[in-house]
Amino acid sequence: MSEILFYLGALMIIIGGICDLLGAIGLLRFPNFYVRLHAATVGTIGGAVVPLFGISLLSLGADFLPHKYAIAGASFVTGVIILLAAPAGATALAYAAHRAKLVKWEPKVDHLAEVRKND
Amino acid sequence: MLEDAFMTLMKLAIPLYLLAIVIYTVRAFRGPTVPDIILAVDCISFDLAAFMAILAVYFKSVFLIGGAITLALWAYLLDIYVAKHLARGEVGA
Repeated sequence: MSEILFYLGALMIIIGGICDLLGAIGLLRFPNFYVRLHAATVGTIGGAVVPLFGISLLSLGADFLPHKYAIAGASFVTGVIILLAAPAGATALAYAAHRAKLVKWEPKVDHLAEVRKND
Repeated sequence: MLEDAFMTLMKLAIPLYLLAIVIYTVRAFRGPTVPDIILAVDCISFDLAAFMAILAVYFKSVFLIGGAITLALWAYLLDIYVAKHLARGEVGA
């Protein structure tokens, strides 16, 4: 039973590392702030939440850890906090960048400006 | 036996996370506008939280986990304060 939990957590850590690297390459290579938000979401949700849940499972299954329940519970809580905080922060940052007109771009459709013009 | 498997896993996982953090740092120094820099610092903070949880298992210590929770909350606070400053021109309640 503990071997199943351990290897499931190890698989999730490897998946998280690969997602993290792909998100970093996207954040470096994408042309625009609003496009870079997509890569940042891959880097935070896939690269931080998935390995934190993986560490929770891995430390529940690991028999060589002295404080395994404390590490499992605290990493699960950290994963839930990042799962709630990262989309809210990215949304607030995108709204602020649109409102302060910091980023040069040519949109096909700009629904936020249309809504503000109709108000 | 599980400990040997974990050490092999660390040889695979640690270079991935370190390389990702280095690439995020390059974007944080090159970023042309303020939201790019803040986004890169956010990604560094969240990935450092996950990496600290991995290091807590690696060093068999429970004290690194509290730092991970605080780091995640601090990155969210940085987001909200910079967004408020850019949208309204002030950092207040």
